[in-house]
Amino acid sequence: MLKMSKLAKAYYTDTVKTQALQPFDLEVKQGEFVAVIGPSGSGKTTFLNIAGLLEDYCEGQYTLDGKDVTGLSDKQKSRLRNEKIGFIFQGFNLIPELNLFDNVEMPLRYRSFSASERKQRVMDALQQVGLASRKDHYPQQLSGGQQQRVAIARALAGSPAFLLADEPTGNLDSKMADGIMSLLKDINAKGTSILMVTHDTEQASQAQRIIEIRDGVLSERHAPEQAIA
Amino acid sequence: MLTYYFKLAWLSLRKTPLLSMLMVSTIALGIAAAMVTYTVSYMKTKDPLPGKSDRVFTVQLSVWGPDQPYLMVDGQEEIPEMVSYRDAKNLKAAGKAQRESALGLFKMMSRAEEQTQRDSQMRMIRTTHNDFFAMFDVPFLYGGAWSEQDDRAGNRVVVITKALNEELFGGVNSVGRHIVLGDSLMQVVGVMDDWFPIPKFYYLSSHAYRDPESIFAPLEYQINQEIFSRNDVTWACWQDIEDVSFSDFMASDCVWLFYWVELESDANRAQYMDFINAYVEQQKQAGRFARENLSRLFTIEEYLRWAKVLSNENDMAVWLAFAFLLACLLNCMSLMMTKFYGKGSEIGLRRAVGASRRDICWQFLCEAFLVGLFGGVLGLLFAQLGLQLVQQIFTYLNATIMQMDLRIMLMTLGLSVVTSILFGLWPIYRAAQIQPSSQLKSL
Repeated sequence: MLKMSKLAKAYYTDTVKTQALQPFDLEVKQGEFVAVIGPSGSGKTTFLNIAGLLEDYCEGQYTLDGKDVTGLSDKQKSRLRNEKIGFIFQGFNLIPELNLFDNVEMPLRYRSFSASERKQRVMDALQQVGLASRKDHYPQQLSGGQQQRVAIARALAGSPAFLLADEPTGNLDSKMADGIMSLLKDINAKGTSILMVTHDTEQASQAQRIIEIRDGVLSERHAPEQAIA
Repeated sequence: MLTYYFKLAWLSLRKTPLLSMLMVSTIALGIAAAMVTYTVSYMKTKDPLPGKSDRVFTVQLSVWGPDQPYLMVDGQEEIPEMVSYRDAKNLKAAGKAQRESALGLFKMMSRAEEQTQRDSQMRMIRTTHNDFFAMFDVPFLYGGAWSEQDDRAGNRVVVITKALNEELFGGVNSVGRHIVLGDSLMQVVGVMDDWFPIPKFYYLSSHAYRDPESIFAPLEYQINQEIFSRNDVTWACWQDIEDVSFSDFMASDCVWLFYWVELESDANRAQYMDFINAYVEQQKQAGRFARENLSRLFTIEEYLRWAKVLSNENDMAVWLAFAFLLACLLNCMSLMMTKFYGKGSEIGLRRAVGASRRDICWQFLCEAFLVGLFGGVLGLLFAQLGLQLVQQIFTYLNATIMQMDLRIMLMTLGLSVVTSILFGLWPIYRAAQIQPSSQLKSL
């Protein structure tokens, strides 16, 4: 599903080279729920940006759903992002002037779906997160937890192969966070792979696998005992 | 997809009403200033006689005395722009042009026959030959020009303007009815339709943007009636004319008439000039035209340029106005830069969920288009107000030169949209370059 071989990332300034990620291998299979943990500044976000095709890597190979993404054009990468990846962000990233329907519909607008199919997909996604009845509301009329559910619906609407979640509960209280985690687990149970960055070890322990990044070095922790069912 | 982009553009403009208003008003102001200046300049300089302005000429003759030139301009001798009655009569009698008319002017009290003496008003009377109307493509509402016979005999006939016909006769067909001109009862033979040649090229440059006279009468009528007031019209003499009689004045070299000819084509210009030179030579033999022969023909445009009716000042004003527009556009560009940069996180998000750079460009192009369109509409409104203001200030000018025609209105909208997009390109390009990964934490 997602395969990275000897992938590495470095940033260059005039005189200094900063190795953000040391060369690593990683494979995530269809249906897996993988947590990525590590302290601040360890390279988690860089890893996630590379996985989400938002940032280029310096060396190695990255295959997404069987397709090598090395050297793809901006347009090709945009298309791949649109079709294969659903993003969930810590800050929800909903557009305030669009209602829930329009927010969820956004990724579908960049694909050639008919209006009726778009509507069907948006309503299905909103249904899945339990907010179909509030499709005409605006983000600011919802609680944080509900906003994150809308963001999840937006990520799901295009039926992506996997979800990339960057601290999805970071801005929520524990009760709301539990709700979001349980929603993510439900989604994963239906076959969508999830790659989730978190620094909450308790949440990470709910994943099937845990990848730890420390000073740019990726390592796999042994499988937690309490993996999700 | 385009409708989606326009919807986003509209929402985006509504989200920041103040900034949007500022952008739209900035463009509107620039567009209005540019278009007010352009309109006045365009209307002032457009061809007043489309289709034949290159074969209609005014004749200027070297009729002046031996002692000193008519005028010296920049060290060059100038000749009068007007001709004497004597020469006008000779040229007309020679009949070498397809059409030709002398143009005189006098001022007199006038009224409809039915009106009382008290209703009389002082009006300018244009005296000319009947060719005037055909030569200058004057449209008629009722009747037409007077006949050649009327010209020769100086009959008491007039052609009046549509406006005067409204005033005196309530707009009905007044052909056959009479107006009183001083002591004469003049029969109306024609009522002109709307006719506002801009500039009014056929007489003195100082009259170029005034309305045409409201009454036209045969030149010979003026001569027969011995009407000539030295205080009311422009004239010049090199001879001493103190205490000369009317007939002596008319036989003198005093200039007070414009003379216009229409030739079959501009190719006949040289031929007609040969005739003029021959005429001057003949007059020299008879003891007139003592100076070097500088006689010439001017097309309408040549005359207007020579008389400085058309000048580079017009162009200069337009350039200045467009420079102001440029300043406004640069201002708007920086506002757009601020606006689009402020949307960095939205751009990041859209890029993340699958929008390509091109998609982002289209979205913001639509926004720049809307800013331009609204700016254009508001600019048109401002321009109308501006033109009305100009009209109030320059009341002596013909109001027609301060009106936008459809072409200029469409041009205004087009200019506004095109320039907004053009000056939006850089902000749009910059916006599309925003790295999504740098923005996603901050929406």
